[in-house]
Amino acid sequence: MIEIRNVSKWYGDFQVLKDITEEVKQGQTVVVCGPSGSGKSTLLRCINGLEPFQKGEIIVDGVSVSDPSTNLYKLRTEIGMVFQRFELYPHMSALQNITLAPVKVRNKSKKEAEAKAMELLERVGIPEKAREYPANLSGGQQQRVAIARSLAMEPKIMMFDEPTSALDPEMIKEVLDVMIDLSKGGMTMIVVTHEMGFAREVADEIIFMDEGRIIERGTDISFFQNPKSPRTKDFLDKILM
Amino acid sequence: MTFQLAAFALAGGFLLGIITGLGRLSTRKWIFYPATLYVNFFRSLPLILVIFWFYFMVPLIIGRPLGDFLSAIVAFIAFEASYFAEIFRGGIQSIPQGQVMAAYSTGLGYYDTMRHIVLPQALRNMVPPIVTQCVIIFQDTSLAYVIGLKEFLRRTSLVDARELRSLELYLFAGFVYLVFCSIGTIASRRLEKRGFKR
Repeated sequence: MIEIRNVSKWYGDFQVLKDITEEVKQGQTVVVCGPSGSGKSTLLRCINGLEPFQKGEIIVDGVSVSDPSTNLYKLRTEIGMVFQRFELYPHMSALQNITLAPVKVRNKSKKEAEAKAMELLERVGIPEKAREYPANLSGGQQQRVAIARSLAMEPKIMMFDEPTSALDPEMIKEVLDVMIDLSKGGMTMIVVTHEMGFAREVADEIIFMDEGRIIERGTDISFFQNPKSPRTKDFLDKILM
Repeated sequence: MTFQLAAFALAGGFLLGIITGLGRLSTRKWIFYPATLYVNFFRSLPLILVIFWFYFMVPLIIGRPLGDFLSAIVAFIAFEASYFAEIFRGGIQSIPQGQVMAAYSTGLGYYDTMRHIVLPQALRNMVPPIVTQCVIIFQDTSLAYVIGLKEFLRRTSLVDARELRSLELYLFAGFVYLVFCSIGTIASRRLEKRGFKR
């Protein structure tokens, strides 16, 4: 579904991604962890073409992201993305947040889009908040609306960029539960997170990045017991405590 | 006449300002540099000079007189657009990049993202500077005096020439400007409060 081949990226002289190769198969959930500044978020943004990269190739669902003839707008409708800071549109209600793209991009009727949005709000557990504005929602609720907003485009892939890092501890679970549901429902997912409970439950592969490189990978959390590099060990000691 | 001039200057300057302001944010060099040049050029000139230019030079270029009202309007639009452009640029840059990324990630294009996500939020932030600019435009219309346009101040001075009561007349003129500008300022404060309530 997603093939990342030898991707490198620079910001000026600074190399953010160093020869990244990774494959995500249909229905798989891959968890990416690592310290801040290791290039995790940048990698996600390269996958849906929000940022360019200079070397290598990324193929999403048979389409090359860096090919100039690729319609990135069309590609992005297939890839949902959830952000650390939710990024709901503050001037729109939860419902409007969700229906905007389906109406504008998929040319759905307002009625049809709203019916679908309500169904999604039901799925993330907050149908009663449809008319609320983001400012009146808790962090956990905002993030669930953000997930519903991505799902409204019926993407083939969902990417999460530290979806629970900006949340109070008691709200983390409500968001993770939605994500676990999605993963078990067969969604192809790439999740940048340090929630190791989540990784343990649904990850098909876990990769550890540092300084723009993938330095560990494993199909379960086994490498957590036996990290190859001292850098990984150091990091894991901190997040697992 | 003053109102007409102010209204045209505002509407035209606003529209041209949006376009120029977006141009200033473009990553494409052939859009960015002309827009930047335009803004810097007009912002470094006094308005009165621009009014003179359009009055004396445009007829030379197009080969026929433009008329004082039309030439004043064109001068005002060209001049005010450069100020509006900077207001827009600032307003748009005040919207976090994450909002744009979120919109793009759902497949929205540049136009829809600007139209539905960035501009509505940016406009809210821009209400105070826009109103300030409107008040300035209203006052600046008096500069059209120099090309003989019979706007408010010009008329005042014509009456003065007849009646010879300078003190009263100019105090009255000042009062009129004050009243209209104050109305603008109060309206903006209302608008701002409503904006924050959502």
